[in-house]
Amino acid sequence: MKENQGNMSYRITDTCSIILCYIILHSSALSGAEPSVFFEKHCLDCHDGKTKEAGLDLTALKLDLSNPGNFSRWVKVHDRIESGEMPPKTEERPPTGDVVAVVKSLKESLVEAEHTRFQRDGRTGLRRLTRAEYENTVRDLFDMPGIALAGELPADGSAHGFDKNSDALDISHVNMAKYIEAADHALDYAIATRPTAPSVQKRRISLVNRGGFVAHVVMNGDGVLLKDKKPDPAFPPAGEHGHIDQGAHERMGSFETGSTVGLFRHEDESFSPYFIEHVTIYPGRYRVRLSLWSFHWDKGEVLPSRGTEAARLSVVQLTGDGRGGQHPSYVFGYYDAPSIESREHELVTWLNHNEIIGFNTASLAPVANYSRKGRAMAFTGPAIAVDWLDIEGPLHDAWPPNAHHVLFDDLPLAEFKTAENPGTRPPVRKHVRQLGAGMNRPDPSPGLWTVHSEQPLVDADRLLAGFLPGAFRRPVQAEVRQQYVARVEERLNAGDCFETAMRWAYRAALCSPDFLYHLEPVGDLDDFALANRISYFLWNTMPDARLTELAATGELRKPDVLGGAVERLLKDERSNRFVHDFLDQWLKLRDIAATDPDRKLYPEFSPYLQDSMVAETRAYFRELLDQDLDASHLVQSDFAMLNEKLAVHYGIPGVSGSQMRRVALPPGCSRGGFLTQAAILKVTANGTTTSPVPRGAFVMERIFGQTPDPPPPDIGSIEPDVRGATTIREQLDKHRSNAICASCHAKLDPPGFALEAFDVIGGFRTRYRSIGDGDPAERGSIDPFIGIEFKLGLPVDPRGELPDGRAFGNIDEFQTLIAADSERLLKNLAEQLAIYSTGRALAFSDRDEIEGIVKRTQQKDGGVRTLIHELTQSQLFRTR
Amino acid sequence: MSQAISRRSFLRGSGVALALPLLDAMRPAFGSEAVTTTPRRMVAIETNMGILPQFFFPETPGADYTLSPYLERLKAHRQNTTVFSGVSLPGVTGAHAAERCFLTGTPHPERGGFRNGVSLDQFAAELIGNQTRYPSLVLAMSNENPTLSFTRSGAPIPAEKSPMRLFQKLFVQGRPDEIEANVEALRQGRSLLDFVGEQSRRLSRSLSPADQRRMDQYLTSVRELEQRLHSAQEWEYRPKPTVDGKPPEDIQNAREFVQKTRQMFDVIKLALETDSSRIVSLFVDTTVIHNITHHGNRPEVLAELRGHEVGQFDALNDFLTSLSDTQEEGQSLLDRTMVLYGTCMGSANSHSNVNLPTLIAGGGFKHGQHLAFDRQNNYPLSNLYLSMLHRLGIEADGFSTATGTMRGLELV
Repeated sequence: MKENQGNMSYRITDTCSIILCYIILHSSALSGAEPSVFFEKHCLDCHDGKTKEAGLDLTALKLDLSNPGNFSRWVKVHDRIESGEMPPKTEERPPTGDVVAVVKSLKESLVEAEHTRFQRDGRTGLRRLTRAEYENTVRDLFDMPGIALAGELPADGSAHGFDKNSDALDISHVNMAKYIEAADHALDYAIATRPTAPSVQKRRISLVNRGGFVAHVVMNGDGVLLKDKKPDPAFPPAGEHGHIDQGAHERMGSFETGSTVGLFRHEDESFSPYFIEHVTIYPGRYRVRLSLWSFHWDKGEVLPSRGTEAARLSVVQLTGDGRGGQHPSYVFGYYDAPSIESREHELVTWLNHNEIIGFNTASLAPVANYSRKGRAMAFTGPAIAVDWLDIEGPLHDAWPPNAHHVLFDDLPLAEFKTAENPGTRPPVRKHVRQLGAGMNRPDPSPGLWTVHSEQPLVDADRLLAGFLPGAFRRPVQAEVRQQYVARVEERLNAGDCFETAMRWAYRAALCSPDFLYHLEPVGDLDDFALANRISYFLWNTMPDARLTELAATGELRKPDVLGGAVERLLKDERSNRFVHDFLDQWLKLRDIAATDPDRKLYPEFSPYLQDSMVAETRAYFRELLDQDLDASHLVQSDFAMLNEKLAVHYGIPGVSGSQMRRVALPPGCSRGGFLTQAAILKVTANGTTTSPVPRGAFVMERIFGQTPDPPPPDIGSIEPDVRGATTIREQLDKHRSNAICASCHAKLDPPGFALEAFDVIGGFRTRYRSIGDGDPAERGSIDPFIGIEFKLGLPVDPRGELPDGRAFGNIDEFQTLIAADSERLLKNLAEQLAIYSTGRALAFSDRDEIEGIVKRTQQKDGGVRTLIHELTQSQLFRTR
Repeated sequence: MSQAISRRSFLRGSGVALALPLLDAMRPAFGSEAVTTTPRRMVAIETNMGILPQFFFPETPGADYTLSPYLERLKAHRQNTTVFSGVSLPGVTGAHAAERCFLTGTPHPERGGFRNGVSLDQFAAELIGNQTRYPSLVLAMSNENPTLSFTRSGAPIPAEKSPMRLFQKLFVQGRPDEIEANVEALRQGRSLLDFVGEQSRRLSRSLSPADQRRMDQYLTSVRELEQRLHSAQEWEYRPKPTVDGKPPEDIQNAREFVQKTRQMFDVIKLALETDSSRIVSLFVDTTVIHNITHHGNRPEVLAELRGHEVGQFDALNDFLTSLSDTQEEGQSLLDRTMVLYGTCMGSANSHSNVNLPTLIAGGGFKHGQHLAFDRQNNYPLSNLYLSMLHRLGIEADGFSTATGTMRGLELV
């Protein structure tokens, strides 16, 4: 048996071994602290070839630290000894000095092995852009802030909780095909094809203009037309009899009178309102204004409303057949509709081809009078009124637009005349059909216009010298640029016009590994790699001109300059991309819509509530970041970020309107901190029932930073039951009486027990809702227009005991117990941010570095913003 | 030429080239022994929200089993179906996470560093897919973006979700100028790939060995796409088959998933019949009824769920019937098409991933039995996948976690 120094083994055979002798012979000072001796004395009774306790046979475990599997096993051995978990309490304790020495020796070997590997391979594996990074990068490169690309790319994987790791970012021919399509799409949008900007069209649209869905339901009693805050005399509310047919009304122009539309009906499976008269033709920025108010409808009378209602504006992408899908592509936001007084809202937004604007009476309960006896004239209830929506655009500050400049600088546009260009193929123009019932019209065709160059190859070289470093986010060698120019020349010789030939090069650049991958040097990040890293961390996109400038001048690596840059990025609106992307993954907000709560058990659930939940968690993290609040706020605080919808859901009075704001919590209210936010409580439940196990696992993994071991295979799982005869705790207690289960569940379940005080949509409860047995339920804050079928079942037991024996009686006590350990919370956040921002799992040798970051942050009051500064200044962050 | 004649009776017009000669460029990359004379086909279907086990599994094993309520819906095909119990994919756990491993069998999708493996259909498509215009069809009945199909590197292949678009892709012929434009676009695409491949080789020279391996994945993707474009270019000049009937109109309402699944089945049948592709994966996403799968044993919810599932089995039954009613060279299409139907969860209520309700119909196996395995200690379902590969003429030694071919399932 041969052993060499580089791959020395702690292998010990049962009968005092050859290797042991070898070590004895070769060690100058041998004591109980020598690993082999320590193992022999304290470990081998259980972890030998015969007993193999927990599957570990130390006599067979080689020390082959260049093998990742072997490395992680030794890390486990190190950790168990260091924490004192091993040898177990029941065995004889080794002298403290020996433990320290063994741990130190193991640690040195591990760190050394890891450094050897990192010096060779780098820590962060080469990785491509995620879907979100790709979309943001193209948006910012071309200044086309709303172009939709991510949805068409294959989904990324996830490794160590985030999609930014190279293990999660495989690439296949499918990705390649999609990258080519996406590049074409971006270039189609970017290249100007007309001498002047498309004319700005402005249009005032009533929600019933051109008839459509909304007119149809209004005719049948789900809404009314209004003039001067009263029923429109020219179009009386539907009553005992419905209106004549819609076609006749349309021919009479009944829906083109500029009337205000009052709606009682929330969107549902067969009703999704939109402003059908505008269907975007030219992608670009549009100004949207909207006038809203609310009222109480009482069988023909308009009365003041119960308070401020909220309406939702969204973007709906029309599909091939001209109909929209049921779900909006994305939500613009929620807008207040105050009682009787019209309020105007304005926003400027990017719209793509064939996108229209959707509407919903978000704060209303799902009510439908459709063809019901008496229709609108028999109905009493809340309503939201839309006076009009103005849309104006496309708005261009300059023409050709910035995107075109990025590609062709200030080369002139000229009409392409085939006769003057013999042998040259004209540029290809894609015709995009306007779908649906839009009344906005395309401009007359200006003819075939394209960019013109007198010296194509000189211009090609100049343009690519500008474009490639921007797109590749670092300097580009002349030699590489020339390869692109050579292809342009080839295309020109093959008969392409200048635009088409250049397009070939741009398309290739956008599909090249230089664009698609984060290329970082091994070891210390250079200036450009550092600029990229903080930019993709805090903006989820490429660096802007200022940051690139700091990299180019070599300033960025100075700590104060880097700190200043980080501060600027955090203050910029683009940092919301970080907040969204990070929380989507760290706290699993991406899964918010994975389950639709059971309609019978949770009739009060609505899309508005769901969107408010996500907005709360994002706003809360933003507040921690902006106010630099410390890590105990992750689990407990005296304020929450709320709008009216959530405040009502949480039973907190005095909040009116749809916008998120900071609200001081009444004493004894446990809503501060992530754990008691509805979004978190929803993503950790299944829509019907809650279980302490997944919730406990979530808290352990995401908040405490301890990944629980998976359950042993085929251990049997619990059949949820909502008939009201048994609670999840009673079922779990049986499970826990099994000793194998108990050892893990003692750690796993306690946070989940405390969180049992909240249902699947984050409502506070003292009794479970039941569909079978139980007492009649009170309405509480549930909208009076929502029917209640559920009953109140068995009581909730939120008591528990932490693994260290400290007991809690309810969620408040639990929060207080864990908030006290703010170091653990801060450390976990530091780790999560480090994994997210560096695109790699944390290594063994990062532990000291993380500890240092945490310590330095604590010395400066432990705030979350301070943590980000300390992280970005650290060697861990600045090394690949 | 009986094959051509029998198809012609179905196809409109006689100027349609039917049995396409194999072009050299389309020959499979791996051993031509994989090409068998009898076309063998496979349709693999997963429904992702479980199947209520109490209404699926028969009580007794063997050929004389009593039909369970769900199998009752398929009774016309009893002799051409094998139903399994006590099977699962070893190590495939993680509740809903398992849905992306149904055809890959890759263990532990719930773990941090999980990386999926190649799916059964793509494994087969790589070897025998070049015999048809489309190496495989990756389909989903869904409003989201799930897929059953994964490339060799574990990357998901987006599924076609619209029966209408699928129909157009398969059967709607382009005009000559469109074809010419397509060919030119494919040529341009290939030259672009050639160029970016060069770029990756340049970058690779300065990378560490580990990163070179990662960059190699990029280059492999480029090469594979290049091959596909090359093959597509050859097919572009060959007319698409013409079929009777209009393209289906897509249904938007997610709750009508049974009807939507039926539409997919209709187009799949046409695709198989016209030999447009021989390998199909279909993800039947019923997330819209996720809630009621957590039925909590409430009788009325169980009844509602059962109603939906019966609808699904009726749709499957009609699909099998349509295949068995279609003849090709004196055999029914079903006899040459393996239809795998199953789910990733044994009980959706408890998120269990063992005892998966699964069956296989048609395709040239000795059917008509209930193969019952140990419900405590499950038999690997991946063994069925290896049997299916062999049936396709792919003599693979192994696939995923398979330990051998399916015990008790014999080829005809």
